[in-house]
Amino acid sequence: MNCLDFHRLLLADPFCKDEAALAHEAECEACAGFARELRAQEVQLRTLLQSPKAPEGLADRVRLAAGFQQRAANRRRWWYAAAAGVLLSIGVSMVSVVTTSLERSHLVLAQSVLDHIDDESHHLREVGPVSGGRLKYVFKRFGADLVADIGQVNFAAECLMRTRNGVHLVMPGQRGPVTVFFMPDEHLDAPVAVDSKRFDGTILPTPWGSLALVGENGEQLDGLGDRLLAAVAWPAPAPRLSGIVDRGHRLVALTRQQQDG
Amino acid sequence: MAKLRTDFDTLVSALTPELYRYALGLCHNPDTAEDLVQETFLRGWRSREDLRDTRAARAWLYKILRNEHARLYERQRPDVRDPLTLPEIPVQGYDGSAEAFAMRRALGRLDPEYRDPLLLQVIGGFSCKEIGAMLDLNTNTVLTRLFRARKMLRERLGDRASREAM
Repeated sequence: MNCLDFHRLLLADPFCKDEAALAHEAECEACAGFARELRAQEVQLRTLLQSPKAPEGLADRVRLAAGFQQRAANRRRWWYAAAAGVLLSIGVSMVSVVTTSLERSHLVLAQSVLDHIDDESHHLREVGPVSGGRLKYVFKRFGADLVADIGQVNFAAECLMRTRNGVHLVMPGQRGPVTVFFMPDEHLDAPVAVDSKRFDGTILPTPWGSLALVGENGEQLDGLGDRLLAAVAWPAPAPRLSGIVDRGHRLVALTRQQQDG
Repeated sequence: MAKLRTDFDTLVSALTPELYRYALGLCHNPDTAEDLVQETFLRGWRSREDLRDTRAARAWLYKILRNEHARLYERQRPDVRDPLTLPEIPVQGYDGSAEAFAMRRALGRLDPEYRDPLLLQVIGGFSCKEIGAMLDLNTNTVLTRLFRARKMLRERLGDRASREAM
């Protein structure tokens, strides 16, 4: 090791224990003097930097602050959990309310169909038959076309359904008259059964609304719905609106009908 | 959690004095140094999950403190005390001699890139390899910086000595 290397090494670490450096220091008087001076200065530096003492109680304050932080974090976690619980409860309640509301809405529709038939039970006694022209005319009022024969129809009229006008038909069945309601904008997610002491039937969902088929108890209605839907080309439905707006439109329509009537 | 808390408390007791000295060496202000130490431990406590190796905790806390100090400068330039003036709050063990002030001033004038490894070596007692790991430098660079730091320190102290002699 030469003097330059020794200086470099010692300046990087004045108390270096490198054997080559120690050997050089033992041999070279100038470097030994440099090392003594440098180490004295290093002791001064270390004393200067290592003697200040931390303020009393600093460690306690740090521990206290960490404790507060921990408690705050725990409180936050508790609040998050509580908020999540409340949100979950609200979510479950909302689902329950919506489900119940839908079920109730379906039951109300089925009941309204039965009430309609009862209120206009005299149409069940119509013997018709309604002419093809009249039938086409009734459907035309809704922009619908009769594109195939649907068999005998004893009564056909435009009629106020639950909230909007639709087509009311009465057709002969095996056990008695069968009532058919074309109900635009009465949207369903799945078929709904219609059931009373006298009548049996179903309300089928369609792209434009729903189709109710109701006959005397035990009447075979299988296939009738498909046949009617294939025979009547109903215009494309308007885009479905949200519940409140949709209901608002229905109310406006109903008011207009009442005013017209 | 209880064990973590106990380990943390032990760490606070053991390392507060030296971290305070390191903080004081960086900022020369007792108030700021105290805040830095507290913030360092709190940050360490918040990120305790990141520290798998408890033996590395010491170096890790030094690194946090250094980062916190750098962050202080990013946010606002803190009240940097002139190393030649006595602190308003008395610091126990604070050397008020003229030699100590001269040394402090010389240290304070070092660029952080030279001062940081020197403080880590003198206060923390870290090896060049450990300092390299903490500052993201290779060992040779650390050696060079330490060499230059002491060289500049000697030159500055020597210049002052020569001026006083004149």
